[in-house]
Amino acid sequence: MNQLGTEKKKVERWRIVFVFAVMVSVLLFYVYKLFSMQLVDGEVYAAQAEENRIKTISIATQRGILYDRNGYVLARNTASYNVVITPANLPGLDLEFPNGDVQQIYRELSALIGVPVDAGEINDETVRNFTPCYTDFGIKQIVYIGDTNAPFNPVKIKCNIPADIAMIIREKANTWPGVDIEIVPVRDYPTGELTAEVVGFLGPIPASVVDSYEAQGFVADRDKVGYAGIEATLDDQLIGINGERVVEVDGAGKTIRDVEVPVDPIPGNSIKLTIDTRLQSAAKTALINTMAAENLIRGEERYSVGVVIAMNPKTGEILSLVSHPTFENNRLARVIPADYFNQLQIDPRKPLFNHAISAEHPPGSVFKMGTAIGILNENVVTPEQVIFDPGRITILEKFTPNDPGTPRDYVCYLYKSTGAGHGDVDFIRGVAESCDVYFYKVGGGYAGEVPQGLGIWRIGEYSKALGYGALTGIELPGEADGLIPDPTWKRIFIGETWSTGDTYIATIGQGYVLATAIQVLVSFATLANDGIYMKPTLIKEILDSEGNVIKPFTPVQVRDITKDKVIHLYDENFLQTDEMISVQPWVIQKAKEGMREVVVNGTATKIFRNAPYESAGKTGTAEYCDDIAKKKDICYPGIWPAHAWYVGYAPYDDPEIVVLAFVYNGDEGSVVAGPIVRDVLTAYFELKNVDLGIETNP
Amino acid sequence: MIKREFWQQFDYLLFGSVLILCIFGIAMIQSAVAGNADIAGSVSRQVIFVIAGMIVLLLVSLIDYRYFSSVTRILYALSVLVLIAIYVIGTAVYGSARWFDTGVILIQPSELVKTIMIIILADYFSKTQFDPKNLQWILKGFFLTAGVVIWIFLQPNLSMSIVIFFIWFALLFYSGLPLKYLLIFAVVVVLVILIAFPRLADYQQLRVLNFIFPDPNASYGDNYNVEQAKISIGSGGLFGMGYGHGTQVQLRFLKVRHTDFIFSAMANEFGFIGTVIVIALLFFVVIRCFRIGLMASDLFGSLIAYGFGTLIFFQIAVNIGVNLNVIPVTGLTLPFISYGGSSLASLLLGIGFVESVSAHRHQNI
Repeated sequence: MNQLGTEKKKVERWRIVFVFAVMVSVLLFYVYKLFSMQLVDGEVYAAQAEENRIKTISIATQRGILYDRNGYVLARNTASYNVVITPANLPGLDLEFPNGDVQQIYRELSALIGVPVDAGEINDETVRNFTPCYTDFGIKQIVYIGDTNAPFNPVKIKCNIPADIAMIIREKANTWPGVDIEIVPVRDYPTGELTAEVVGFLGPIPASVVDSYEAQGFVADRDKVGYAGIEATLDDQLIGINGERVVEVDGAGKTIRDVEVPVDPIPGNSIKLTIDTRLQSAAKTALINTMAAENLIRGEERYSVGVVIAMNPKTGEILSLVSHPTFENNRLARVIPADYFNQLQIDPRKPLFNHAISAEHPPGSVFKMGTAIGILNENVVTPEQVIFDPGRITILEKFTPNDPGTPRDYVCYLYKSTGAGHGDVDFIRGVAESCDVYFYKVGGGYAGEVPQGLGIWRIGEYSKALGYGALTGIELPGEADGLIPDPTWKRIFIGETWSTGDTYIATIGQGYVLATAIQVLVSFATLANDGIYMKPTLIKEILDSEGNVIKPFTPVQVRDITKDKVIHLYDENFLQTDEMISVQPWVIQKAKEGMREVVVNGTATKIFRNAPYESAGKTGTAEYCDDIAKKKDICYPGIWPAHAWYVGYAPYDDPEIVVLAFVYNGDEGSVVAGPIVRDVLTAYFELKNVDLGIETNP
Repeated sequence: MIKREFWQQFDYLLFGSVLILCIFGIAMIQSAVAGNADIAGSVSRQVIFVIAGMIVLLLVSLIDYRYFSSVTRILYALSVLVLIAIYVIGTAVYGSARWFDTGVILIQPSELVKTIMIIILADYFSKTQFDPKNLQWILKGFFLTAGVVIWIFLQPNLSMSIVIFFIWFALLFYSGLPLKYLLIFAVVVVLVILIAFPRLADYQQLRVLNFIFPDPNASYGDNYNVEQAKISIGSGGLFGMGYGHGTQVQLRFLKVRHTDFIFSAMANEFGFIGTVIVIALLFFVVIRCFRIGLMASDLFGSLIAYGFGTLIFFQIAVNIGVNLNVIPVTGLTLPFISYGGSSLASLLLGIGFVESVSAHRHQNI
């Protein structure tokens, strides 16, 4: 064939065969590789391709709004603007070609929002601690972290920028690819600090519960949950349900189309609270002003923590609930600033702590009302029976019935100042004058006058019937249950035997007895309401997002102690029997008369002298010696520091409001707490007249 | 005018399969544009390249390849001149000066030089076919190649430099490189790699390192393209997602999908069967080149055909290897299918040479 072929050299055949063999094996390897990728692992890759393409976008729902009882807004949603950068959309993040444009964008953006271009050191530690919105990193570092994690997801550069700056940045969107403004709803509290202890505040979903929230369709870095107050307890009502879009996205993360029919978000329910913001304001003002005035007189910051609660005894509606000091919840609404939060946490007055429901204090004389109904109901004494108060009595402190005992003096508070007692005291005077010796004798027994006192077990029964020692169930987080001690408790927790002395001081709400302000309030509300215990509540109505009432107000009666048999009957040896009794209505009536007498001619007479309404009440001066007092070194026997209590209700004949005031380390209840209650009651009736359209001339 | 023998000996199967591949390439680029306005013009430009390239192919095949033997010196001088000229009037794209901007299209001279080098080296090896196969013979060829490659290497364009050296080595091998030198050569290559690697540009080093030692903590961006290519291929399955319906392609998850990663785009849309058919067709082109080499009437013609066949295969192997993630990312295109005027032009020019070898195989010198 080839004429000259024999003369010419040709490529050696083996070399061609060798190359051919190499080529065939390479191709066979590729086909094998293709086979394993496309056919063997095809499903896996197909799933990855699907995951690339299909994104589920959560559509944020609207949190419910909080109103006060008159429809005044306490919590609502407003817009907040965040600057975000989507790293993948920035121009030229190519390693080969570091682009000057990005630096230019960073510099201009930095000038607008004040975040430095380059700040902070990137290392494992700092990156792990990186939290958008709360970082000291510069723009470059934040984008770097965002780019490393998910370049197509926007990363927040600065949160909560002013609307006008946000507008400027939005207009630059075309020239600044990758930079955008994210609008997020934030909580706004028009009444702020005034209602913060009730309303609470929001925060990011805590790491420990992220999984369960995500399972319900919430987004960890976006959606917020209640951290305190009603925002926390009624979170499930308020939070709503997020909507969802399943969309197809392209490689740049742009949404192409909906793959499934979008599920619209369901807004959270709104809640109308029982709080009357005006009364809340009056109560807070009364508390703060009274404390400030007394501080001024004493020339020292003596009173700084206090509580005022007002409730309708017939329905259990809490009209105001003040725990002072509290916090400015608007400062916690967008982000929780570390400095402010730390400041709140180290404040010894505990502003984040709701003193009205979470603080347990000795109730002092206000606790006497439990003992009071007990002694009458159990016939320990008759209302008319006169007991002599010499100012000081000596009782044998016994740990067992056969213990010879050690004599111990018990004095009436009056004795401390005047050296005398109240003299002859019957039931009404005992309550009105808050005569300690009267209650010592009827509570613990006194030879010759009261053969057998009410005793610690029965004191407990009647106190508990009024609400002590148990949660009231108010819709706020962190409620404490107080403590009604008994011999069993003391054995277990103190490791000592109950002594007779313990009973005497428990009678007047001292010693081991602890109560929360809300318990004290409820106990008085129950008496004012003729023995019917209404569950205290902050919820007036639950409304849907369109304002329709879906759960109207329904007062919850917990018990009627004049009908429900809630009191255990004890035998003569103070052993509990199976028989249960109720409180006789006349006993409640006598207790009410006693409390009326407090105002008419008793410990609070001076304070309510000119009040334009008929009220009743009870003072309390509860001696205490807690850690703070010990630190201050003010605990001396006989002159312990004391908390001031006062609980009053009005009108006396048909009570519609019960008000409690408590001032920590407030000395005598009649001096500090009483005027606060008087002012709140006055404000209540004035507001009532305003609502009824009646002109009043103060 | 044109002799009857030309029409008899012209390899229609080679021409036909190249034409099919080019047309398929246009169709694939059309799909790969996927609504991206920046590359939307690629299709019509590629059509022009294919038509122009085909004309060049036919014209070149008309010329007896033996004539080229006489102008190799001029071709060599021109090649070096053009490559040097880039530094003066070239345009930098993506950081390396590889292009001439003609105002209409960017021309990458190194692509053309690659094909020209086959002629030059085939000529060198055929003229020295009776010389002793010693070190001098090897080094002469080496420096001949290096004289051109140095300018390409400095652009910098590592992959093209490797390709041209590969051509040199392939032709050296076909021309009868003794086995002992082959062994020495292997040792030298290892040494060169060890010495040259630290001198590579950072991004080149990174690419290689990134491939050999994939960083488990690597950021999303570093492996993004390769990762998406793998997903594109794998999700194609047996039959593919269908032309114009590959989600990875059409939703632009796959990057550089009309050039370097067009194989992945193809695999995504046509699946295992379609991809294997295209590979087979590509290999068929290689086989036809080798067949022409086998039947060529002289060593010069044989070396042109073998050399070009080997070059095509090398590009196929490297490009698919990159797509399958078995070798590091380089800038080599998939012959005839990837978008790229210069690359296509040089390939069709090369096919023209091979066709010339085929068509003029029985003519006497």
